[in-house]
Amino acid sequence: MTAIERINQLSHRIFNTSKSEAQTSRTSNPFAASNFQKNILTEDVFESSKAKESSKISFTGNLTASSKRIYSTFVGSLGDFGNKFYEGIESIMAFGTRMKEGIISGWKKLHELGNTEISLDGTKEILARDIKTFFVNGREREISKLSKMDPHAEVKPMLVEALSALEADMAVVAA
Amino acid sequence: MDNNMRNNKNFSKVSNIIESLTINPNPDSVAVLEEIGTNSSIDEVRELTSRALVKRNEHESLSVVIANRGKGINDMSTVVAMSTINELLSLENKEEAMRVLENTISSEGFDEEVKENARSVKALMALS
Repeated sequence: MTAIERINQLSHRIFNTSKSEAQTSRTSNPFAASNFQKNILTEDVFESSKAKESSKISFTGNLTASSKRIYSTFVGSLGDFGNKFYEGIESIMAFGTRMKEGIISGWKKLHELGNTEISLDGTKEILARDIKTFFVNGREREISKLSKMDPHAEVKPMLVEALSALEADMAVVAA
Repeated sequence: MDNNMRNNKNFSKVSNIIESLTINPNPDSVAVLEEIGTNSSIDEVRELTSRALVKRNEHESLSVVIANRGKGINDMSTVVAMSTINELLSLENKEEAMRVLENTISSEGFDEEVKENARSVKALMALS
């Protein structure tokens, strides 16, 4: 038998039902009799619900003592988890309360700030005064420093030099 | 005093030095002011110097601006002379200034012009 003949036989086997296959009960599979392009699927590809029921695990029976201990430990841990979960919720509630209080106090502070009038004019005055004070103080500091110097030995040469420079400036302006 | 002069950096320096000599307790300050300041060719500097000498309110400093020809109240510049007179009139304690004025008027060693100016200023100070 050649390979081509074998493939033909296989395709004939798949797409044509035998008498025994046609009589097979497929009540659990509503699509079993469906005609796909006039070909009847001969294999029940859907899992039977009856088979499922038979494979169900029963917790009521067939449990060994060791299994019971394991399950009880598991259930006990679930109880602990519940306590921990409840404690977690409590801490979340406390955190929420703190947040709420913080927000309220913050809101109150904002409200107080909102009611306080901030005058830019006052700021301007302070800045102007400070700048003026800075320059005035600078001049006063220099005068105070000069006043402690010896008039003949220290101040006179400085005055002569400054006057010469001023006279030179005046000469330039006049020219 | 014009703005150009006020804004001049060297003038500010001169002004600060003269101001410092006004409050310097050393009596030599008067000599420096007289020698350098009152002999300056710049009216504004002479004006500042004369006012500084009046502010010191000492016998020597007041003598410079009252009893010297061409200085203080006797300056050729009307602005300098008037500014010095104003400063004399502004003094809280005029006792020393009046004493110097009286000495100048009564002394034989001064020019008649200087004596005349001293008399005028004394009259003004008596009225103020």
